Amino acid sequence: MLAARASAARRASRLARNFATVVDAAGVKVAAVDNGQPTSAVTFLVKGGSRFESKPGVAHALKGFAFKSTAKRSFLGTIREAELYGGVLSAGLTREHLALTAEFLRGDEDFFVDVLASFITSAKYTRHELDEYVAPFCAAETATAFASPATRALDLAHLLAFRTGLGVSPFTSAGTHISAEDVRAFADSVFTAGNIAVLGTGIAPDVLAKLLEKSLGAGALSTAAAPKSTPSAYFGGETRIEAHGAPETVFVGFGTSGTPTAELAVLAAHLDPTPSVKWSQGLSPVSAGIPVGTSVQTVLLPYSDAALFGLLIQGESTEGVKAAGKAVVAALKSAGELKGDELKKAVVKAKFAAASASEGRDGLLSSLGASTLLGSESSLDAKLASFDKIDASAFSKATASLLKSKPTYVTVGDVKTLPYADELGL
Amino acid sequence: MVLAGPLGPSLAPTIRKSRTLYRWIKPVADWYADLAGYRKVGYKYDDLLLEERPDVQRALSRLTPREHYDRQYRLKRASHCSVLHDVLPKDKWTQASEDIRYLKPHVENVEKEELERRAWDNLVVSRK
Repeated sequence: MLAARASAARRASRLARNFATVVDAAGVKVAAVDNGQPTSAVTFLVKGGSRFESKPGVAHALKGFAFKSTAKRSFLGTIREAELYGGVLSAGLTREHLALTAEFLRGDEDFFVDVLASFITSAKYTRHELDEYVAPFCAAETATAFASPATRALDLAHLLAFRTGLGVSPFTSAGTHISAEDVRAFADSVFTAGNIAVLGTGIAPDVLAKLLEKSLGAGALSTAAAPKSTPSAYFGGETRIEAHGAPETVFVGFGTSGTPTAELAVLAAHLDPTPSVKWSQGLSPVSAGIPVGTSVQTVLLPYSDAALFGLLIQGESTEGVKAAGKAVVAALKSAGELKGDELKKAVVKAKFAAASASEGRDGLLSSLGASTLLGSESSLDAKLASFDKIDASAFSKATASLLKSKPTYVTVGDVKTLPYADELGL
Repeated sequence: MVLAGPLGPSLAPTIRKSRTLYRWIKPVADWYADLAGYRKVGYKYDDLLLEERPDVQRALSRLTPREHYDRQYRLKRASHCSVLHDVLPKDKWTQASEDIRYLKPHVENVEKEELERRAWDNLVVSRK
């Protein structure tokens, strides 16, 4: 038991130490951790999300171009060769980052790092690939995403909350025209030295750095200045969108500008009605007020210079959604009075969520990617320590200032009967 | 270039390699292209390419909207000439300088992709 604990602690410290070293190789920031996983993954994280885009939809189109033909390999060649190695190539786009990921068996890193690097340095962005693969893919992806009322509500919430910058959707809206030249120009502006971080798991840092020197070295990346986004400011507002055949959806949210604080995570943990034990109701103040057939989930979306926090209420009937909405608003208003054991409970819940999120590959990416791009050291210990500093007065001050701002209120569904913000008491 | 490709067999690459041969053949080729008569109805050479095959159809879909429109216009104008049993007035004939192979690169690319796909489909993998 004691031995097991000691080795767990050692492993945890090794994780923190490995990630704390961010080295520069070939103009990019490299961070890698090897915990002896059976597979490796390498991610090129580019500061080229939708908030940096020069033209609506160009970031999404660039994501669609991932792993298409480059000077080294054709589109088909990339796929077939990756299949022969048994790897998985994927691309993801958020409002801030474009992530190009390759997951593969140990020992195949030469090939996969080269695939990723050759896309960064020598993608062809041909017009026929845009017309034949990328544009239909982007349209289908957007349609699929917006078929979910939750995604739609959150997308609109970002627009209301931040307007420009973070408000820009990572999905292409219908009727957007993007040319291959637009994509190339955007790619040239974001694929620059200092704008890319390479994160590896299951691969030794020096091996990864050496491979990057080989494939990105000798001035392959331009040193031009990367596009800047205006600092985020929070606005808020209300909107209602008609939708049919999907759950009635209401999003009640608040935003902050500036670096997301630990208090916000604690507030989210406090209000989160997800029970810790299956088939129980949960002890959140929201839980008791949720009618059967209605669900509530907390949404906390931290960004580099802002955060959007809110509760997403979904249900079959508008009456149920309205009742749950009233419970949510009441719980939000009384959240600032949290103290004593209740506060401690929320803090440890938030702490656990933060710690367990950094365990998986995706969690590591999101928690360490942004700080690696900045070149700063970010360890889990420092993050967890910030939770310990929270006391009742700091928490109530943070909550009060959050709730003082204008709420972001989005309804998607039957707009005639869904409640307005003032009907819920906002 | 495969013999059964949409562009047909051609000796042109071989001839172009030898400077002497090129100097001898080029005037004859130019004379023949004028004699063929397609320029007199406003066609370019690539308008005559056999288009009833999937690879050329794919290549056609890769033309820019402008190129596509111009091609349709030339086809229509030439069919009209055919109905009238006449050629266009001389100022509307295609000049030798305008007679560029606008479709050939696309056909070649499609063909290359097709050959690559065949190569990957029939690949024998030997693992070390």
